[in-house]
Amino acid sequence: MFEFKIDDSGQQQAPSGGLYDLAIVGAGPAGLSAAIYASRDGIKTLVFDKSSAGGLAATTDWIENYPGFPEGISGPDLMDRMQKQAERFGAELLEFEEVTQIEPVSKGHLRVHTASAEVFDAKMVLLALGSHPKKLNVPGEEEYYGRGVSYCATCDGPLFRDKDVVIVGAGNSGLQEGLNVLNYARSVTFIEFLPYSIAEKILQERTMNHPKSTFYFNHMLTEIKGDAVVTGVVMKNRETGAVVELPCDGVFIYVGYTPDTRFLEGLVEMNKWGYIKTDAQMWTGVEGLMAIGDVRASNLAQVTVAVADGTKAAIAAREYLAELEV
Amino acid sequence: MALLNDQIRDQVSEMLVDLPNVVRLVMFKKAEDCPYCSIIEELITEVASTSDRVTVEVYDIEHDKEQVAAYGIDKAPVIAIVGAKDYGLRFFGIPANYEFSTLLHGIQVAGAGEPAQLDAATKSFLAGLNKPVHYEVFVTPTCPYCPGAAVLAFDMAVHSDYVKADVVEAGEFPDLAGRYNVMGVPLNVLNHTQRVEGRAPAQMIVDAIKASL
Ligand SMILES: Cc1cc2nc3c(=O)[nH]c(=O)nc-3n(C[C@H](O)[C@H](O)[C@H](O)COP(=O)(O)OP(=O)(O)OC[C@H]3O[C@@H](n4cnc5c(N)ncnc54)[C@H](O)[C@@H]3O)c2cc1C
Repeated sequence: MFEFKIDDSGQQQAPSGGLYDLAIVGAGPAGLSAAIYASRDGIKTLVFDKSSAGGLAATTDWIENYPGFPEGISGPDLMDRMQKQAERFGAELLEFEEVTQIEPVSKGHLRVHTASAEVFDAKMVLLALGSHPKKLNVPGEEEYYGRGVSYCATCDGPLFRDKDVVIVGAGNSGLQEGLNVLNYARSVTFIEFLPYSIAEKILQERTMNHPKSTFYFNHMLTEIKGDAVVTGVVMKNRETGAVVELPCDGVFIYVGYTPDTRFLEGLVEMNKWGYIKTDAQMWTGVEGLMAIGDVRASNLAQVTVAVADGTKAAIAAREYLAELEV
Repeated sequence: MALLNDQIRDQVSEMLVDLPNVVRLVMFKKAEDCPYCSIIEELITEVASTSDRVTVEVYDIEHDKEQVAAYGIDKAPVIAIVGAKDYGLRFFGIPANYEFSTLLHGIQVAGAGEPAQLDAATKSFLAGLNKPVHYEVFVTPTCPYCPGAAVLAFDMAVHSDYVKADVVEAGEFPDLAGRYNVMGVPLNVLNHTQRVEGRAPAQMIVDAIKASL
């Protein structure tokens, strides 16, 4: 029932410094896969993450479609393994260090600036920034964050044992995490803007057939209410305009994802949602700079895709670094 | 069956075998309404079996009044992590999943008698403290961000005699969690009044301590 994990983030080693062959920004599946391949290949690699390693995949309860795990595997567990695998081959990992600027210096030299005003030098950089949960931007959302509003059911779900919970968004993430919350909560009400769910059929079946679940389709959440903590939500029927108030103790928000690429404005080309445009080989157009995984425009947000991007980028890095030598 | 597999056992042993000071894991359990008490006891016994530098003592919160008073215990299950002296490190509930790291970190810093990672500014602030600080961190075992918050509390408590650090598995202490409206983790609470949500940098905790004094 319990697992016992060792995560060394509390006693992380200082980076060895000097010129890195490869700097990777983001330690989700894309960044860690690249780190596994590159460091195993003898490429001196430094990985940054502004949070703890693992990326979005570490915030999901259960991943069933990553090949090799017929019963599925917990997101944190899978990511823990990827991290260990990268570290085993000598990749250096710097957690809780946000990259704030990438400065091209010359061919074969990019400078990475971080929020703690440190500077690192690398011959090549991979942007594996992923994305983060979107906000709804409704009244009450910010006010009650941490007081009933949450974006991580894996983290906070256990606090809602026998409580009434609302999940906003009935896409893959909302339903997947909803299944997790259904284990604890007294009831789970799903509110979806669209008239239907765009989630995988298997997730729809499991949640909709659950005795503790209720679905409101074609409804827009307009307000989160509370006193000291969340006490309910207000939603509007998009067809009839009817307003429905629903008492609840918690609101988990899964309404999509958005990348955090503002610090790259002016450097790389992005689409209107802020995802980074690349060529088919994932180069950004800036010398020595590639983008991989969810942050890449028009990419499929799946662990397998992020892993494949990381693999291809590490192999491209080997070639690029070899060319720099000659 | 052992709770720790061979690989984890080896890692734990490596981390704890050379502790400068012996660390006593002093557990308080209760007879009723404690589904995880026996697992916690088994876990810390396994941890202690990996190193001569770690020992286990188990008491009952109802019966062993003298120890309850000596360690200032008000709820169970709890593990007091005691090094050369009692730095005030407490873990309430089961240190499972990610929180196992927090327990190990506590043992390491208590055994070393010094924090693993505190910057100079934080150390100098702590050196100037002259009032008690009760630093509580609420966590869940499945929260990847939580150990980062918890180990900071342990580091500060080891560094300052004025700081006492309670890491609380929120799911097992619903009354306390309810009192502070804990609905997201990690949550740091300083002297029962100041809340800091999330894994915050040391400077934010220092500011919250100042505001709480
Ligand atoms: C609830 C949920 C359920 C999911 N279920 C599945 C599933 O079942 N199967 C599946 O295949 N996929 C699933 N996914 C999708 C999957 O998690 C993502 O596709 C995958 O994590 C993308 O990997 P990535 O490495 O590109 O980005 P991410 O995992 O998002 O990692 C990016 C990392 O970069 C870091 N970062 C960002 N900016 C900076 C910066 N400036 N400096 C330093 N670090 C930075 C972030 O902190 C983050 O750790 C799910 C996602 C969610 C949210």
